[in-house]
Amino acid sequence: MRSGDFKERTAQLIVLNDSRVAWAWAAASLGALVVAPYALNAYHLSLLIVILITGTGALGLHVLTGSTGLISLGHVGFLVAGAYAYAVSVTRYGWSPLVGFALAGLVPTAVSLVVGIPSLRLKGLYLAITTLAFASIINYFVLELDWLTSGARGMAVPRPTIAGVAFDSEPRFALLCLLVAVVTLFAVLNIERSRVGRAFRAIRDNDIAARAMGISLYAYKLRAFMTSAFICGIAGALFGLYLSFVSIESFPFMMSIEALAILIVGGLGSTLGAVIGTAFIVLLPELSRLALGLIGTQAKALLSTGAYELRTILYGVAIILFLRFEPRGVVGVWRDAKRLWVQWPLRY
Amino acid sequence: MQYLIDQLVSGVAVGAVYGLVAMGFALTYKATGVVNFAQGEIAMLVAYVAWSMAEAHPESPWLAVAGALAAAIVFGLVVERFIMRPMLGEPIFSTVMVTIALAVILRSATLLLWDAYPHGLELGVGRGLIVIGQTGMRTAQLGVIAALLVAMASVWAFFRFSRIGKAMRAVAADERAAQLMGISAGRVHAVAWVASSTISGMAGVFFALLYDVSPTLFQVGIKGFPATILGGLDSVLGSGFGGIVIGVVENLAAGYAKPSVKAVAGLVIIIAVLLIRPFGLFGKREIERV
Repeated sequence: MRSGDFKERTAQLIVLNDSRVAWAWAAASLGALVVAPYALNAYHLSLLIVILITGTGALGLHVLTGSTGLISLGHVGFLVAGAYAYAVSVTRYGWSPLVGFALAGLVPTAVSLVVGIPSLRLKGLYLAITTLAFASIINYFVLELDWLTSGARGMAVPRPTIAGVAFDSEPRFALLCLLVAVVTLFAVLNIERSRVGRAFRAIRDNDIAARAMGISLYAYKLRAFMTSAFICGIAGALFGLYLSFVSIESFPFMMSIEALAILIVGGLGSTLGAVIGTAFIVLLPELSRLALGLIGTQAKALLSTGAYELRTILYGVAIILFLRFEPRGVVGVWRDAKRLWVQWPLRY
Repeated sequence: MQYLIDQLVSGVAVGAVYGLVAMGFALTYKATGVVNFAQGEIAMLVAYVAWSMAEAHPESPWLAVAGALAAAIVFGLVVERFIMRPMLGEPIFSTVMVTIALAVILRSATLLLWDAYPHGLELGVGRGLIVIGQTGMRTAQLGVIAALLVAMASVWAFFRFSRIGKAMRAVAADERAAQLMGISAGRVHAVAWVASSTISGMAGVFFALLYDVSPTLFQVGIKGFPATILGGLDSVLGSGFGGIVIGVVENLAAGYAKPSVKAVAGLVIIIAVLLIRPFGLFGKREIERV
């Protein structure tokens, strides 16, 4: 009699997910997300859109920081590059939104080569520093290239019409964001189970061992950089579309921190963690508003005057608490809970 | 020619502020191996404390200075003991992220506790003008240059002669060996944090004297950072010198090219230094390359 869980073919080993239950849940939540834009009120819909766009961006950073282990503090630079690539090509030159999206991915990819080739000679902290510097340099270029980007005045971006479908209403735009987010999620999951993804993880876990096994650190780190920049560029274009306006001010440096907070809170290195972390971080201000509302009106008044400051403080506190007490993130808690559910009352 | 001299003089003065912040960066890095991204925010916090004290007791500026000093020391101790020490032994990514989170919290907390408007810091000193030849300098400018020189000299003496300074060098060279020799790494870290927050607090107060106290004061951290990269992340004296270079380069770039270049001049220097000589002009440690 067979017992246990046997994998007999490579295909079984690298399959995206071998659990039918997991697939069923995924399909059910996807169905719920497709219906949701038409069921939610305007405020909750905007939260959903922000979650979808942020999630796409977080997945982009996840490829670089979570999978490959390279810290970037300058990913907001790729968002800016993507948003402006879209705005310039669609608003200024009147090209089709599809071309705009393609450029929103490709321009940051090209930029990432310019940043990546020199800065990948450095490790860890130093890479973080050069990317930090790079994000400010991108902003400088946007402000200086006034004839192209309208400088500090910013550019309006209308909602797109793709292949005859107008994404002008909020629910439709939410569906567009959902499509992009789901495609990105599948792409990232599939990268992870490919040769490239395994190379990324090998580099993260031990770069010297990875090199000894014939993985070119330079080539694969650049690939991680480019993939990450591509995804973030698309997310940036979507965010510009969401605001209907692109300017430097819509992409503050805080976004880089927010993305790192998402990865840390969700669980660094886990794709599921990036998704859960996004929902957690985006909804954190809402949750805290509910909690503070229970305390009293004075707390509520503080919240209305210093909402942005309180939000950033919450991000900071969340990062510190998670790094200190639960470095595996929400995903770690979730796995513990699952194991407890299956194996209780036994330990393992 | 006069224009060049004026640019150089104000560059050296603002560079001294950057140099002080850079020394703060280097002190923490040397002793604890952590780049403290909250350095500029600490400078801002201390400057705000000084401003509040000066507003509350305008008759005794020394009280403001003492209050700022005490705030810097207490703050350094608290951060080290309650935030950084529990992170000992965690990966470098985690500790650096903690300092970034701390920076973000301090930035927002400053906006919440005080307000978003710039204020002038009046300590009764620093506004006077000293004219040498045709070049005028404010006493605060001279003061900050003197402060940088004094800080550099005392740090040098501290590392060279004092017991705890030598212990710090030992911990920087090899933490485990130092602990085996009976050096308390925790105490060394605490001293490093106090020293670095005091030095960058001085930078914050001088910056406030030269310009004003505002919620963007934390940017001295962003300016001081290229200085410490240039001087060498583990070289405290080199970082102080790097600050002067960055200040002068920035001012010349703004004066002769375009004012907007000023903001990115330091960042371009960072990238250039990291590519050509990643351990800085005076840094010792070889940085591992890929």
